[in-house]
Amino acid sequence: MKAVVLDSGPLINLSMNGILYILKGLKEKTGVRFLITKEVRSETIDKPTGIPRFELGALMISQLLKEGTLEMPDNAGIRDERIKEITTELMDYANHTLSSNGKFINIVSPAEISCLALSKLLSEKNIESLVAVDERTTRTLGENPESLEEIMSKKMHTIVKINKKNLGKFSNFNFIRSTELVLVAFKLGVLEIKDPRALEAVLYATKFKGAAVSFDEINILKKM
Amino acid sequence: MQIEKEEIEHISIVLEEMKVALIEKNSTKLRDLSDNTIHMSCSHQDAESITIVILAYVLSKIVEREDYSRFKNWENFVEKFNYLLNLASKSIKLRNEKTFREGIEKAIETLKNISKDETSYIQDLIKKACINKASKIYEHGISLQQTAKLLGISQWELSDYVGQKSIEVVKETKKVDTKKRAKIALEFFGK
Repeated sequence: MKAVVLDSGPLINLSMNGILYILKGLKEKTGVRFLITKEVRSETIDKPTGIPRFELGALMISQLLKEGTLEMPDNAGIRDERIKEITTELMDYANHTLSSNGKFINIVSPAEISCLALSKLLSEKNIESLVAVDERTTRTLGENPESLEEIMSKKMHTIVKINKKNLGKFSNFNFIRSTELVLVAFKLGVLEIKDPRALEAVLYATKFKGAAVSFDEINILKKM
Repeated sequence: MQIEKEEIEHISIVLEEMKVALIEKNSTKLRDLSDNTIHMSCSHQDAESITIVILAYVLSKIVEREDYSRFKNWENFVEKFNYLLNLASKSIKLRNEKTFREGIEKAIETLKNISKDETSYIQDLIKKACINKASKIYEHGISLQQTAKLLGISQWELSDYVGQKSIEVVKETKKVDTKKRAKIALEFFGK
């Protein structure tokens, strides 16, 4: 079994771009499963339901869950209590990683960290997983935490210090974004738009709905 | 909230300068005050500093567009609002955090109730200010969900807004560059 753990960002992104169907196509074509945590379900389905502007998006995500394209972790034999335990542990590390004037800064929330917790628990079961996160901070924490220190110091006009002891806790995750999901969907013929400009268009579309991807990166990806 | 001495000074100065800027209808100053307080909001993440950021920004917009002419009671509003800022400023200096909080809460309530006829205009301004400032906090390195939670807005709204902004993307690392990440994804899905 292989699984992609989806954070709220990629689901919101694909929903707003009207291409949530690629998840169904990818699952059917490759067998890769898509898991979401309780916290992500809350952000993407429970909270926006009842807000007219986002209700349709929430209902479309809810439909994917009902039909089994999206699955909750218990389908992979992982209990919510375990996710909660690991989330609390990782949150504690993440929010004690950067400090300014002797005070630690809360940089993450339970939703995105629950995705890392789930990925960690999948690894313990020898299930290969990727974490799909569109926002910058969580991914940077895993891949390039020093740059977070640099960005925060620059933006906050103060010295932000990094607690290097905690960094190892986030270095073993493999991150992708909705940008890579649409690239794969295009390459596998899952994207329903048959036009030579479709890849470029869909890569840009993910950027404009919140994926932290630069124009330079898009230029590289569209040539792949 | 445990407030340090230099932060008390900073909040107090911001509140005092906000009063003057409002009387002088100085939109640039109000916006600068909002921007300068964001840095503190990122580290403290307390409701009061975030409210100060929003208040200063909303007032800068009203002044900049000369929309104060929409409100018959603008002068009365400024007087009442500045009284509350004064109260908050004095309270924070005395480390009376309860009265400080109440002053700030009442200040935003006063703004929300400035005119019964313009309720939706003010609500809209506050909503837009929250989204705009949330994107700034996200730029500072706080995660999108954490930012949305702090500002009490939906992640859906924020994702849509940050997508339009040029937010610095993290530099590539040797560990994962653009091509490598794409290859990881393609291989994972068997392509």
